[in-house]
Amino acid sequence: MTKRWHKLAALPIAFALVAAACGGDDDGVADAPDEPDTTEAPDTDEPDAPDTEDFGGVEIVITGSERDDPSVGAINAVLQEFGSERGIDVTFIGDADWEANINTQVEGGNPPDISIFPQPGKLAEFARDGFILPLSDDVVSSIQDHWAESYQLDGIVDDVHFGVPVKTDLKSLVWYKPSIFEGAGYAVPETYDELEALTQQMVDDGGPAPWCVGVESGQATGWTYTDWVEEMVLRLHGGDVYDGWVSNEIPFDDPRIIEAMQAPITLWTGESDEEAARQALADRDLPRVFAASGTIAQTNFADSADPLMDGQCYMHRQASFFSGFFPEGTPFADGSDDAINVFYFPDINDDAPALTAGTLAAAFNDEPATMAVLEFMATGEYAEKRQAEQTRLLDGGLSGFLSAASGQDPSVYQPLEQEFLDILLNAELARFDASDLMPAAVGAGSFWSEGTNIINGDITVSEGAARIQESWPN
Amino acid sequence: MGKIISTLITVVVAVGFSAAIWVGANLVFNQARYHWARFNGLVFGVGGFLLGVLLSGNRLTIGSEGETLGGFLNWVWLPLVLAAVFAVLGVALTRTDDDRQRLIIAIATGAVVGVGLGLLIQDQYLPSFSPIGLIGWTVAGVAIGGGLALARKKPPLNGVLVWGALFFIIGAWGTADLGAGSTVEAVIGTLVPALALGVRLGLTDNPELHTRTIIDQKSRAVIFLGPALLFIFITLLVPTVRTIYLSLLDNRSEEFVAFENYVTTFQDRGSWDASGFSNFFTSQLFWIGVVLLGIGVVLGIAQKQRTGKAVELGGASLGPLVVAGVLLAFALFTTLRGTIVNNLWWVVAVTLFSTVLGLAVAVLADKAKGEKIAKSIIFMPMAISMVGASIIWRFMYASRDISGEQTGVLNALWVGLGRLSTGSGIPTLIVTIVLGLILLGLAYMVAMALTKQNVGRAVVPGVAFLLIGWFFVRFAGIVGGGVGGFRVTADGQTVARTIDFITDSPYNNFWLMVILIWIQTGFAMVILSAAIKAVPEEYLEAARVDGATQSQIFWRIVLPQIGTTIGVVVTTLIVVVMKVYDIVKVVTNGQFGTQVLANDMFNQAFAFGNTGRGAALAVLIFVSVLPVMYLNIRRMQKEA
Repeated sequence: MTKRWHKLAALPIAFALVAAACGGDDDGVADAPDEPDTTEAPDTDEPDAPDTEDFGGVEIVITGSERDDPSVGAINAVLQEFGSERGIDVTFIGDADWEANINTQVEGGNPPDISIFPQPGKLAEFARDGFILPLSDDVVSSIQDHWAESYQLDGIVDDVHFGVPVKTDLKSLVWYKPSIFEGAGYAVPETYDELEALTQQMVDDGGPAPWCVGVESGQATGWTYTDWVEEMVLRLHGGDVYDGWVSNEIPFDDPRIIEAMQAPITLWTGESDEEAARQALADRDLPRVFAASGTIAQTNFADSADPLMDGQCYMHRQASFFSGFFPEGTPFADGSDDAINVFYFPDINDDAPALTAGTLAAAFNDEPATMAVLEFMATGEYAEKRQAEQTRLLDGGLSGFLSAASGQDPSVYQPLEQEFLDILLNAELARFDASDLMPAAVGAGSFWSEGTNIINGDITVSEGAARIQESWPN
Repeated sequence: MGKIISTLITVVVAVGFSAAIWVGANLVFNQARYHWARFNGLVFGVGGFLLGVLLSGNRLTIGSEGETLGGFLNWVWLPLVLAAVFAVLGVALTRTDDDRQRLIIAIATGAVVGVGLGLLIQDQYLPSFSPIGLIGWTVAGVAIGGGLALARKKPPLNGVLVWGALFFIIGAWGTADLGAGSTVEAVIGTLVPALALGVRLGLTDNPELHTRTIIDQKSRAVIFLGPALLFIFITLLVPTVRTIYLSLLDNRSEEFVAFENYVTTFQDRGSWDASGFSNFFTSQLFWIGVVLLGIGVVLGIAQKQRTGKAVELGGASLGPLVVAGVLLAFALFTTLRGTIVNNLWWVVAVTLFSTVLGLAVAVLADKAKGEKIAKSIIFMPMAISMVGASIIWRFMYASRDISGEQTGVLNALWVGLGRLSTGSGIPTLIVTIVLGLILLGLAYMVAMALTKQNVGRAVVPGVAFLLIGWFFVRFAGIVGGGVGGFRVTADGQTVARTIDFITDSPYNNFWLMVILIWIQTGFAMVILSAAIKAVPEEYLEAARVDGATQSQIFWRIVLPQIGTTIGVVVTTLIVVVMKVYDIVKVVTNGQFGTQVLANDMFNQAFAFGNTGRGAALAVLIFVSVLPVMYLNIRRMQKEA
């Protein structure tokens, strides 16, 4: 009996173990509130700090969703070079699961110093919840020096600058093969009317279909159509209507939005009447469209690269990243017979709008070193250096990186990318991809699915618009 | 490497901790019978320690934070002190048998602990009472405690004290404005319940040996079941309750909206759309169903005159009636649309086809040559994950632009058939002639059977004649332009046309179901085959001796014998199908009118951030699976 008695010692030991486990956790939490104190103290010095201040080896951690080797390598190389001049030890970590992890890190009180947001929506949410901090005056002036106002808007929340634009993707592009175009005697259209006329001309000539269209994209089927609609809202009605549409002050079933939603359908079917267009889509009676998988809704957006090269269709509207879907070794914009090139998706009201997407960097603390890094990331110098480094890492291939910051030397870009840059810098009106800015239930939900229903000929554009509006969260 | 080690440590700690609790609890309760004082001291001590952990661990008391004593000590002193105080109380109570002295000891300890804890509460948690909340909760507690005691025909005081104390704590601390109050209020907040519980404790007597023996014995069940129950509680009960709670909150889980999420779910066109119902009466499926229903009724009446039963297993009327029912159900499902309808359709179609096909294979392959190989092949899809199967079938269903070759097997066949049927070359001629010869052969068989007055023999060739004849008529273009994948354009040209298995709503739903049927038929077959083999051979032999035909043996003996097994297969399948998710996610992600509840739930909760809607859908799935689960459990209990 007495022997067994000793086994009772197991109990307190077990409790001690648990207590120790809990104690360990709590230490981490207890540390968190201390952080603001240390960050606020040097804050007062900031206004006096000269631009070339040495920070004496402060560590700055940046996270972001870009994680391909050339991107991560280039970002790290450029920022570390900058950091070594200023005594900052900068590390960029590309995180495949950024969306989920940033929430955990913030809620656990352990955020990075800077994070690169793939969309402004999340940034605005974090700004309103107080997780990210307003940018210092130096950073703001650096942004204003290098970025056109349209691009700055994405980083502004309630009139305060929170985000530094660091990368721009261009959507307003039509891909084509110049040799085939010239062979058939077609010229690149300068206006939307010319584009429509050219489409009809191509059908009348009885050659390949004018357009390659596909909206299938696995879990995200339908996003290609949302891009088309965004292009048309911008082209038909301009930036103010676009902004009103994004915030739903102008609802989806507004005649102007319906007009923009019908416009691409009209271009594909040749029918401006909604019901006639729906019928044509339902009957798959589409001489203007080549859909590699039979129907537009079933064709993967990436499947349009091959038919474009093989001459099964003349044109394909897709964003700048589409270069990555062509087979390796495809020549771009070099004047050769096999070369693929792009032209600007023409405007209607002569205001040269550009539909863009991109990333924005934001600060989780306001330490001077953090702000110094952001100030640098806002410059054209950063973009130019990153582009040069990334191209070098890829042995002169297309980097996939693009920035609308001014003050870059365009010669670091490949010929095709120079075309992109040209369009970006000439755009008088730039707007961020609307579906990324809308509530997810619409922007990644009903806009995709009802758009797909429209394309499939199940419903008319007006019906689709009404349904999308119905799903807008209150 | 670091992750592996930390995971390993966590596992070791968790397992060690569980084992320690289990062994410790057993050892503690070993003392109950003969060492009541020791037992009481330990139990009280552990209770006090846990109370201390609760307060200290949540940083509610002074000293639990900061570095005055240094790290761990800082934190653990209160649990240790409380453990000691409570242990002394436990031992003291055991050694005192006088009622009055027991009461004094218990109340005095309650007072000391109550005042002490009240003084120790940190400044930021000092409560400023809300009188309504405090009184309301306390009254509620007193009422519940008193009521429960009265209902169990026991003196109400004990219940009133315990329930009143617990609800007082909720009222005092839960409804108060924390941080705005004073130390006095904090002391009141701890002293009152401590005194009430002290009084309750002082009113008890030391148990007799007999009672202690019962405690010792009964405690074992709790100790053995405890870990399992705790695990179920944490992993099943807590999430269920929390999901139900979340479903009553808004999309950001901030405001209470009652049943709004459920109302929106049912009002949403995506969930339930009856606008196309009028098409029900004009659909082909409906009319074929009605005709079959008529045939079934006529056959039923004829059969009733012969056997006295209009419908019976294996009877002539059953086939047409079942097929008619299925067709009518399908016609209904194609006109009513929406997530809920889709789910019902899945449940009906997959369960029915998997079970019937599985049963058919099990019966037909039974004792046949090559049974093992055939069954292995049919069972094989079970080994493929749902996602894998979906990807395989996506390729089967794939279609390509008609200007090129079809890569999907089904469309390649269909378009090929269309080319053959509408073409005018030699292959078309050959196929037409072969079909014609087959028809003539069948007609001869029917004629032979009829001249011999053997109507039964004429049935199979007769049905085959009708089906192939219809195909021949369509193929040769006598009715319609031909058969297969083609369409005639406005200017009279014939062009190939693929079937859009994935996008053509509402029938695409059925093509998705085929994937699950393909997987689950193997499951149904294996279970049913085992049941068929378990039917006692004596029954079958006796039936044969009585002159029963093979089909009579099946319908009258085998089928009733395996009835329970069919029930198990059906209920299991229903539960699987109700939760179907992967297939829809992979093939369409719910687009083109193929959405189902589980995928909608995932999208709402995790893609769109509508936690409330997602939780409401989860609860809907849960509730609709419940009755089936209940039936399953009931049957298992009956069999046990």
